[in-house]
Amino acid sequence: MAYDDLRSFLAALDAEGQLLRVSDEVLPEPDLAAAANAAGRIGEGAPALYFDNVKGFTDARIALNVHGSWTNHALALGLPKHTPVKEQVEIFASRWDDFPIAPERREDAPWRENTQAGGDVDLFSVLPLFRLNDGDGGFYLDKAAVVSRDPEAPDDFGKQNVGTYRIQVIGPDRLAFQPVPVHDVALHLHKAEEKGEDLPVAITLGNDPVMAIVSGMPMAYDQSEYEMAGALRGAPAPIATSPLTGFDVPWGSEVVIEGVIESRKRQIEGPFGEFTGHYSGGRRMPVIRVDRLSYRTNPVFESLYLGKPWTEVDYLVGPNTCVPLLKQLRAEFPEVQAVNAMYTHGMLVIISTAKRFGGFAKAVGMRAMTTRHGLGYVSQVIVVDEDVDPFDLPQVMWAMSAKVDPREDVVVVPNLSVVELAPAAQPAGITSKMIIDATTPVAPDVRGNFSTPAKDLPETREWAARLQQLRTAASAR
Amino acid sequence: MTTHAACPRCAFDAVRTLAASPVAGVWLVRQCERCLYTWRTTEPVRRTTREAYPEEFRMTPADIENAIEVPTVPPLRQP
Repeated sequence: MAYDDLRSFLAALDAEGQLLRVSDEVLPEPDLAAAANAAGRIGEGAPALYFDNVKGFTDARIALNVHGSWTNHALALGLPKHTPVKEQVEIFASRWDDFPIAPERREDAPWRENTQAGGDVDLFSVLPLFRLNDGDGGFYLDKAAVVSRDPEAPDDFGKQNVGTYRIQVIGPDRLAFQPVPVHDVALHLHKAEEKGEDLPVAITLGNDPVMAIVSGMPMAYDQSEYEMAGALRGAPAPIATSPLTGFDVPWGSEVVIEGVIESRKRQIEGPFGEFTGHYSGGRRMPVIRVDRLSYRTNPVFESLYLGKPWTEVDYLVGPNTCVPLLKQLRAEFPEVQAVNAMYTHGMLVIISTAKRFGGFAKAVGMRAMTTRHGLGYVSQVIVVDEDVDPFDLPQVMWAMSAKVDPREDVVVVPNLSVVELAPAAQPAGITSKMIIDATTPVAPDVRGNFSTPAKDLPETREWAARLQQLRTAASAR
Repeated sequence: MTTHAACPRCAFDAVRTLAASPVAGVWLVRQCERCLYTWRTTEPVRRTTREAYPEEFRMTPADIENAIEVPTVPPLRQP
């Protein structure tokens, strides 16, 4: 089932017992962020949180942790809520093959109901803004889909980008904005600033659950996130034309913010508790002037808590980081079986692969580091055999403990690129990278004593399914 | 509205009000005019007072002035 907006997904979560409404009065700080932080600490299957009684506000509606468990991630993709993680990633990868699915343009976007423009723009009057972590510089929009176009190809639908970036509210109509240089919007901004021009942007808040997944997904520069959303939804993504910029934005958004990144200007921003589990900043970042706000009546403000993993962001960008790497690796190395890139947005990646010849696994590891996402993120790769499930960490640790000769199987390459947010980088943006080859050597690599491996019994797979069915039936009674 | 209470983070003495609670008199959102630190008056004191503000998050004028630019502003392309 494809959800066209956040509200219909919240209703579905509610029906599935995955939406927790907190009706008692809470403080905007520290309660909202602390509750979302706690959702990541209460075990599997954490629900989304919904607050509508926040002290000092008259009509705030705040949704948190919407994607914050594998249960909710499965429901976002229209899958049964208990779908195992490995299966969610496999289904995600299989739907990817349907790309591109053309979007469907609609004219009746509900965010057209209300407007503020020019000097009347006041973000605080529409959004119940609040702080996430203690050391954050202010209040953030951190689950938005930001739309921008290539200034040199403004009519190229594929080069129109939809991405999620951190955005600090620094005034009623001003935002500080972080375009990390490896990301598409930074390429757009670079081209605009070379010409001394402002870069128009449309920032959409409270989007349908698949839009939130694709806007945080590392895709090729000229691939359309809307066409990928269609593939993942199994139905065309509904889009509408934003009134000021004329950009394509999600039809179902709660709020659409339009304005420009002011050319060649930088201003202090941050710090912000990041997906790395560390604060980054303050840095001098670009600034957005907001010229128009469009919003649904009684908008739901969706925010995302992130900090020390795991938090919602780890679920949100887990599978969507695994799949591009899986596809890119398989394109050249069909031996690759599965890719687990769900630790800190793929800073550590576990790859299972068959071996073509001795030394092959290390080549696969090096390729992971030179993919587009790898250039900015992948700093540690663990390569395991084809019969090791990279999502099953005890199996991965077995491979590490039994297969690795540290002197021969750990490769460190110095001075490679990484996002500046990487806490271990020195200087920022530069790091060494490591491959741990935890595969069984094959000829002509004849090291070790691996001749008689023990394997699962042939009947085990069938029994695993049978036990799972028995357990599901027992829990339903 | 600018007042002269100190910023919890950088101790600058010019602070403005960005927003007031829709329910009158419950809280204000304040912002330092130098480091842009933004806080709500009902937040815990570790976020709202200079005395209790954690050392590791404090900011000096030099920190602001010398903060790295991300991304760097490119050279203007000649027409």
